[in-house]
Amino acid sequence: MTSPASWRRAFWPLAAWLAALAGCAAVIVHTRFTADLSAFLPASPDARQQALIEQLKSGLPARTLLLGIDGGTMAQRADASRALAARLRAGGLFEQVQNGERAALADIAQWVFERRYLLSPAIDARRFGSEGLREAIDDTLSLLGTPAGAAVKPLLDRDPTGETQRIAEQALGAGGPRSEGGVWASRDGARAVLMVQARAEGSDLDAQQAAIEQVRNSFSSVAAAGLTLRYSGTPRFAVESRAQIESEVRRLAIAGAVLMGGLLLIAFASLAALGTAMLPVATAVLAGITAVSLGFGTVHGVTLGFGTTLIGEAVDYAIYYLIQARSSVSSQPGWRDWLRTGWPTVRLGLLTSVCGFVALAFSGFPGLAQLGVFSIAGLVAAALTTRFVLPVLMPDGTHGVGLRRHLGRWAVRLVQRLPRARHCVTALGVLGVALLLWHRDHLWQADLSSLSPVSAEALALDASLRADLGADDSGVLVVVQAADVQTLLQRVEGVTALLDTWVQDGRLSGYDAVTRWMPSLDTQRRRQAALPDAAPLRTSLAQATRGGPLPAARLEPFVDAVQRSRSLELVTPESIRGSAVAPLVSNLLLRRADGGWTALLPLHAGATPPDEAVVQQAVHGIEGAQALNIGAELRRLYRHYLGEAQGQALLGALGVVVLIALWLRSPRRLLAVCQPLLIAVLLTMATLAALGVPMGILHLVGLLLVVAVGSNYALYFDLLRHQASFDADTLASLLLANATTVLSFGLIACSEIPALSAIGRVVAPGALLALLLAATYAAPANPPPPREAPV
Amino acid sequence: MPRPEFRRPLVAAALVLAGMPAVALELGELMAELSQRRAGEARFVEQRFVSGLDQTLQYSGTLSFTAPDRLARHTVAPRPESFVVEGNKLTLERGGRTRQLMLDAQPELAGMVAALRGTLSGDASVLRQHFKAAPTGTLAQWSLTLVPLDDRLLGVVRQLRIDGRQSELHTVEVQLADGDRSVMAIEPVAPPKARASSP
Repeated sequence: MTSPASWRRAFWPLAAWLAALAGCAAVIVHTRFTADLSAFLPASPDARQQALIEQLKSGLPARTLLLGIDGGTMAQRADASRALAARLRAGGLFEQVQNGERAALADIAQWVFERRYLLSPAIDARRFGSEGLREAIDDTLSLLGTPAGAAVKPLLDRDPTGETQRIAEQALGAGGPRSEGGVWASRDGARAVLMVQARAEGSDLDAQQAAIEQVRNSFSSVAAAGLTLRYSGTPRFAVESRAQIESEVRRLAIAGAVLMGGLLLIAFASLAALGTAMLPVATAVLAGITAVSLGFGTVHGVTLGFGTTLIGEAVDYAIYYLIQARSSVSSQPGWRDWLRTGWPTVRLGLLTSVCGFVALAFSGFPGLAQLGVFSIAGLVAAALTTRFVLPVLMPDGTHGVGLRRHLGRWAVRLVQRLPRARHCVTALGVLGVALLLWHRDHLWQADLSSLSPVSAEALALDASLRADLGADDSGVLVVVQAADVQTLLQRVEGVTALLDTWVQDGRLSGYDAVTRWMPSLDTQRRRQAALPDAAPLRTSLAQATRGGPLPAARLEPFVDAVQRSRSLELVTPESIRGSAVAPLVSNLLLRRADGGWTALLPLHAGATPPDEAVVQQAVHGIEGAQALNIGAELRRLYRHYLGEAQGQALLGALGVVVLIALWLRSPRRLLAVCQPLLIAVLLTMATLAALGVPMGILHLVGLLLVVAVGSNYALYFDLLRHQASFDADTLASLLLANATTVLSFGLIACSEIPALSAIGRVVAPGALLALLLAATYAAPANPPPPREAPV
Repeated sequence: MPRPEFRRPLVAAALVLAGMPAVALELGELMAELSQRRAGEARFVEQRFVSGLDQTLQYSGTLSFTAPDRLARHTVAPRPESFVVEGNKLTLERGGRTRQLMLDAQPELAGMVAALRGTLSGDASVLRQHFKAAPTGTLAQWSLTLVPLDDRLLGVVRQLRIDGRQSELHTVEVQLADGDRSVMAIEPVAPPKARASSP
């Protein structure tokens, strides 16, 4: 690059490339990386899925931590529970801290007490007639003189009909965890348990992490020696998954770069060549992240992890260029030759890969769509960098020799021998098909947990804390939706009328509903209308208490309270803002993005867990209401995506075949290219089946990658077949490219993140097979094949 | 109502006198006697003395116990009400509504149930877990005083006293911390069931 002309030629590609890199960097700096469940939830859900997503992303579970205190004595654990709860309540990061201390509920109790005549389900006209009053007062009195009377006695004059008690007994349900020393404990009493809810959204992982740290720090500063804190819950899983993915991605990237660097260094024996080969890779990763960030708003950690696998494929382009551009026969610089000979094949390989990933990019599963977009952007960027930037930096490829000559010799020997095994391989392929047919019923696994990096140990702790707390025991919800909040509350009241009968006959031990704290305005007005004037109320009271133990004269405060309640401000979403019950309501009543409202009614299991189908049947007649079983719904979703991804993968594969057919315009050559790919995929699947590894969505992505990478090999062999002889340099570049792919995916196969190891375990063996099979089905070099003109 | 307060010291004195000639009753001995019984049915009449009320509250109904842990109290008058506990499961019916509760989530109720179940089944360890248990009298005429160990329970229940003869309970008296008090007189309806062979 000495002449002004070559300078001009060099300037524009380099400038464009550097500008693109700067643009990518600017986007990436502002990119949000996530590791929550969102990647595994649908992008355009139906109404039922929408509720599920709201529940999972911002609902209660996403910001609830379950805490356990082990060790020490019961008194020490109880003291630690109280001290920890006090710190967390004062800390400001949590909107609710529950540890069974009754004092903590005092604000809620006071709020309910003031509004008891609007909230109690017992309020109707009959309740305030003399007969209704007598029954209600008798019921209340029957608690006096027993230990349960302690709570009732102070309220007797103001609430003789026991409305506060009535509201509380519904809200408390079966009563929750065991109480030991005044705080919650596990059923065997050996562990103090708490349940805390962070203020921040579940998807705000930084905030969840800060909340977890506050729990840990508070505990270590208040707890006696010998006590240990255990905690679990979705926030912990999400935060730790993110940390694990981050460290794993870093580890994989470093290990991949070192391995790849070592391999290239051995092959090229040139640092300059090594540095040049890494440029398309780095560009690919940056472009991939940028494209996903622009397209989706956030980048999921798994996508990032996947990015490291792209090193294996993107480096291939550089290897092809660096080796093939050197073998210049004319007086022109090597890159001009390569543009004529090598580039069309690389371009076709790129197009087939993109074709495969386009199918994924349109997946309704954001996790898959991100992988698709990442791969397309990354591969295109790598190819463009190779095409435009590498010729500027290394116009004649690399001059380093290293092991390349040996590689070439081995490759030629391999290519000469492998075709003899052709029939043998075909037979293996048939055997593979038979094996797959044999295993067809349990080939695919429909379980979302296969994607989750949460360890079995962590899940066991979670289950044990959940059992201790009796938290959300059934996993079944009734979800009610409506366009405006009052319609919604009326519908919820329709559902609760039904659920009450189920609690009554023991089918449920209880349920939660927003209408306990916020009945519909209609209901509140109806209750207000049932409240009598002072004079008739006094008359009824006199009749009701005649001859009884409770003198009517004591009940003037009751008469006053009823009168005040007749004009009390009604409870609405606006009026409860900032009140003690606001957190309770916000867990059960959600404002949707479209302006509509959703209410969640979690069911607590009775003797047997509620059956979703039975609940669905029962709420069928209530508009906007449906049953939802979170676990079953997630499995259904995953099955749906697996089916969708299978269809997309097939479409993608079909696209690859069509593209190759259009390029080659020869059925025979098409067959020669596709046969090794097909058999490589079949044998990889058959091996997994034989090993008893059920395949999930990510194995499928891996197979797509095998086709994408393998099509490059097959096309090169097709190209070589139509030259006079196999070019040792091209073969060497194929062998080296394959080695880097197998190595980088081999690394990922050892990852502890299931999503990544699944891809690695498919692509590493699959890519190796694809190369060997492409060589096997390539025509022997001697004698040279007859020249064949494209039709 | 002054009468019960007035009568109590007399009853206590009588009991002390009755207990004098015999050697002090051991808890283990009493429990062994009580554990003979595997099941029982009884009628009860309970009187509650509650401050601030014009009258004594009176309830009557039936009690039943089936070893090891089922205890049921069905109130018939003045309003039907039931309290059935089996293991850790408590079912309450009151005012026409049924509620299922976990007993161990209600420490006050759990303490009371432990006192009755422990005594009825003759399980000393259950009693000692929750109470300081002091028996007096003889097997023929015994009295068992239970004082809660747990501060929280003690804040509600000052003490229980259960009187009985052999393996039968006759009176359960509960003194609440706020001075209220209940006395339940128990009268077996069926003759004691055949004594169970050792479990």
